[in-house]
Amino acid sequence: MTSTDTRTSQGIGQSAPRPDGTLKVTGEFAYSSDLWLEDMVWGVTLRSPHPAARIRSIDLGPALAMPGVLAVLTHEDVPGEKHHGLELRDQPVLAVDRVRYQGEPVALVAADHPERARRAAAAIVVDYEVTEAVTDARRAAFDPACPKVGERGNILRHQPVRVGSVFEAPVVVTGEYEVGMQDQAFLGPESGLAVPAEDGGVDLYVATQWLHVDRDQIAPCLGLPAEKVRVSLAGVGGAFGAREDLSMQVHACLLALRTGRPVKMVYNREESFFGHVHRHPAWMRYEHGATRDGRLIYVKAEILLDGGAYCSSSPAVVGNAASLGAGPYEVGNVEIDAYGVYTNNPPCGAMRGFGAVQACFAYESQMDRLAEACGLSPVELRIRNAVSQGSRLITGQLIDSPAPLAGMLAELEAFPLPAASDGDLRELPGGVAQTTHGEGVRRGVGYGVGIKNICFSEGFDDYSTARVRLELAGGEPHVLVHTAAAEVGQGLVTVQAQVARTELGVERVTVAPADTTVGSAGSSSASRQSYVTGGAVKTACEAVRERLAELAAAHPGLTTTALLQRFGPVEETREYRHRPTFPMDPSTGQGDSHTQLALCVHRAVVDVDVELGLVKVVELAAVQDVGKVLNLLALEGQIHGGSAQGLGLALMEEVLVADGRLRNPSFTDYLIPTILDMPPMKVSILENPDPAAPYGLRGAGEPPTLSTTPAVVAAVRAATGRALSRVPIRPEHIALT
Amino acid sequence: MRPFTYLRAPDVATAVRAISAEPGAKFIGGGTNLVDLLREDIEQPGTVIDITGLPLTGVEELPDGGIRIGALVRNSHLAAHRLVTTRYPMLSQAILSGASPQLRNMATTGGNLLQRTRCLYFYDGAAACNKREPGSGCDAIGGFNRQHGVLGVSDDCLATHPSDMCVALAALDATVETRSEHGVRRIPLVDLHRLPGTTPHRETVLAADELITAIELPPPPSGAVSRYRKVRDRASYAFALVSVAAVLKVRDGSVSTVRLALGGVAPKPWRAYAAERALLAAPATEESFTRAAEAELTAATARPGNAFKIELARRTIVATLRDLLAEGSAA
Repeated sequence: MTSTDTRTSQGIGQSAPRPDGTLKVTGEFAYSSDLWLEDMVWGVTLRSPHPAARIRSIDLGPALAMPGVLAVLTHEDVPGEKHHGLELRDQPVLAVDRVRYQGEPVALVAADHPERARRAAAAIVVDYEVTEAVTDARRAAFDPACPKVGERGNILRHQPVRVGSVFEAPVVVTGEYEVGMQDQAFLGPESGLAVPAEDGGVDLYVATQWLHVDRDQIAPCLGLPAEKVRVSLAGVGGAFGAREDLSMQVHACLLALRTGRPVKMVYNREESFFGHVHRHPAWMRYEHGATRDGRLIYVKAEILLDGGAYCSSSPAVVGNAASLGAGPYEVGNVEIDAYGVYTNNPPCGAMRGFGAVQACFAYESQMDRLAEACGLSPVELRIRNAVSQGSRLITGQLIDSPAPLAGMLAELEAFPLPAASDGDLRELPGGVAQTTHGEGVRRGVGYGVGIKNICFSEGFDDYSTARVRLELAGGEPHVLVHTAAAEVGQGLVTVQAQVARTELGVERVTVAPADTTVGSAGSSSASRQSYVTGGAVKTACEAVRERLAELAAAHPGLTTTALLQRFGPVEETREYRHRPTFPMDPSTGQGDSHTQLALCVHRAVVDVDVELGLVKVVELAAVQDVGKVLNLLALEGQIHGGSAQGLGLALMEEVLVADGRLRNPSFTDYLIPTILDMPPMKVSILENPDPAAPYGLRGAGEPPTLSTTPAVVAAVRAATGRALSRVPIRPEHIALT
Repeated sequence: MRPFTYLRAPDVATAVRAISAEPGAKFIGGGTNLVDLLREDIEQPGTVIDITGLPLTGVEELPDGGIRIGALVRNSHLAAHRLVTTRYPMLSQAILSGASPQLRNMATTGGNLLQRTRCLYFYDGAAACNKREPGSGCDAIGGFNRQHGVLGVSDDCLATHPSDMCVALAALDATVETRSEHGVRRIPLVDLHRLPGTTPHRETVLAADELITAIELPPPPSGAVSRYRKVRDRASYAFALVSVAAVLKVRDGSVSTVRLALGGVAPKPWRAYAAERALLAAPATEESFTRAAEAELTAATARPGNAFKIELARRTIVATLRDLLAEGSAA
């Protein structure tokens, strides 16, 4: 009892079942969109149809005159701060005198029925003076004559990386690459329920990734102290970064406080596309120089990321793109410039992979070009340049824990290749549509390598808080774990319970619903929650164990049950911080900006119908080092899911935006892979511990998203001989133009 | 969505009477398209007449060996019906390549004929669209148009007809039967849909008070083989970039029967008569197939976004005929 007990049946390392698993699969899980109170009313948002306009006037009269309408609000009704934002509070709660992107919230309506609320919102008359929309990121960044999107300049961050001075090499390859705007495509739309409280505050139940940062943005906008805004996590239908920024949170609270009624808001699918940030589209120019035997001499790159109308988390995305911009390779001379810019396009921010995804597609495409130029296999070229423990990143940061990239690549390459098609037409490109009977089908194999920082970087005070209580329930020891960490589908509730079981040797563990009555857990992003909240739960459990040991020492002979009976529950709350990180030097990018790095490598095998341009991914194989497996089933799910999102970016997923307008806001027109597009995966999981992390673990959710995309594209290049410098690739790029 | 009056028709006569009495009324069957359009405010009927209670749910064999399909037969049911899987397997293939099982369980045969386009601009109330709002213009012409048509389109509209089932029906010489207060009308499926011209909002030749009651198929040509092929951006649940429905019979090395229809490339299920003319009596060779495809596609007009569709259509036609040739020879 007083030492780590690994004999519990569902502790760390076991594939403990998820409490939400069966409910989700059978459709019984209660999502935030299912929240219901008998006396609730409905909130609806009026959004700008224009990507850029001045607001001359807003006439609420027609809406207020409609039956069932309880409140109609504009920016004038925001009692506190008028703006919110993750890194910079530049995004209006409701547009003040300008709108800067299509879909920007302008006014709110509460009514007794959602359809009445929608009709009332449509009746509001907004007089817009349409202005020039800045929609070209390059122009926004570099044309001095370009109008300013916001109050600041259009470049929201420029992060250079400068190392060395040798920029000549016997072998030089250059390339320009482009990544389209990807959507997180979570299934549960933005939704929540705000309930006005007797103390003048508000209780908000919402699907989010980070309860405390929501609260810390909501409270100032409402003009309330933080303790009067209590946020509880409602059922989350996926997140992938899209719930890190606020959507309907402040809006529902404003309406609840104004009407004195609980207010529910649920976006429909179309509105959801306007209600959250997307992955930054990127334009990248790369130049790699190497020796004839394929050893990197230098990397030069310009990475341009379109942040859209507001800041969101763009500066951190730029930081990742810069610091990880050359990939997990040793290179002594670097000149990288990463830019994030404001435009009147939809705001972009966090999405799984967070700036590392875009750069990875470009640098891995370059490594393939370099391999070809040097006459080496893609794997051999990568092995020759691979980082390992003791290497330094281009930021000068020492890689001080295992980074066995060369070995991972060798293992991956040694996996047997899948057999050639056996003639089953469903397994060929076009699948069930039987568009080919095998003629024109060529096989290709490609490799991709990705490196992702785990946890928040660049000096952010990144921590989590856990309260652990050991008590008797029904005469038996029972553990209650309480954190504010958001279960977004990744399996964190399960992992917290596993940690408590392992640390306290108690089978019965309850994980309390996440809310703000306990300290912040930080965000469910950056692959960080197993590390940081896992670490917090572990630390709090250790503190409980110590208290119990003291009691036991003072009262020899008493069992744990007897101690708890006599002295009552033992409860401890602890904060857990990972090792500190430091800012990147603003002119050289140097600095220990990351606390942990994770590697994943993929091999993609594709069959391409080179007549019709259709791709069938036959196999995705991956090797990932996770330090320590906490829950194998959940971990494999993360690797499968991350790979599916990477495959989607390679082959089909793109938010279409022209002139600042989003053109495919539906799952009919924005395509994500289905089970027919995703192949079975062979996954090898390595456990080389990071001594700085709890249990030696390494965050695992994001890395597979990085390396899948370049691997799939490389395989299609191998099958077709096409350059394919933009993702997603489509039939017309493969075969027809 | 706007408020509307909901009526439920117990029989065909009542349904037809109700719609003649209510200008602007719409029939609703499975609702898989109409409900979306109501939600998006694209359709704004004052009255919706529910016809799901009408006795139009049978698939019957006709004396001549053809079949008669009730307008309310659900897509899933039709695709799995023994008369269809045995005599018109291509129709099954086409239906099963469209939408999702959930949608096919709801969608009706009659409703499928009247599906409206999936043009991105048609669905965006803020965009110019001559089909949705006559005279407003067409934002697809200068916009994202890789899904759009290359045959039969006009300067006023590039939208495609989204149905897979209709492409097969066009190649199978289907006839549509309708009822109105004026009686029964029989319309060849290939004549049901109009080309956009300058009036893209007028999509069919049906009068506002006409109810589709059935579709009839003549017996399949004896000894012919057929196939529906669909090329799309993902393996399932996506509209066609190009699809081909083909029926082929070869005798003594020459094409003796051919019927060819295209989907994903035109405002209507596109019967490829020019290609058929080029093929009939021609040697059944890849060269003939290519010539035939080119004969059809010389009339194609493309925009930068959808120029690839012409070549894609050519290759898909040739590949489909090539397969059928091999299949016919094997049989």
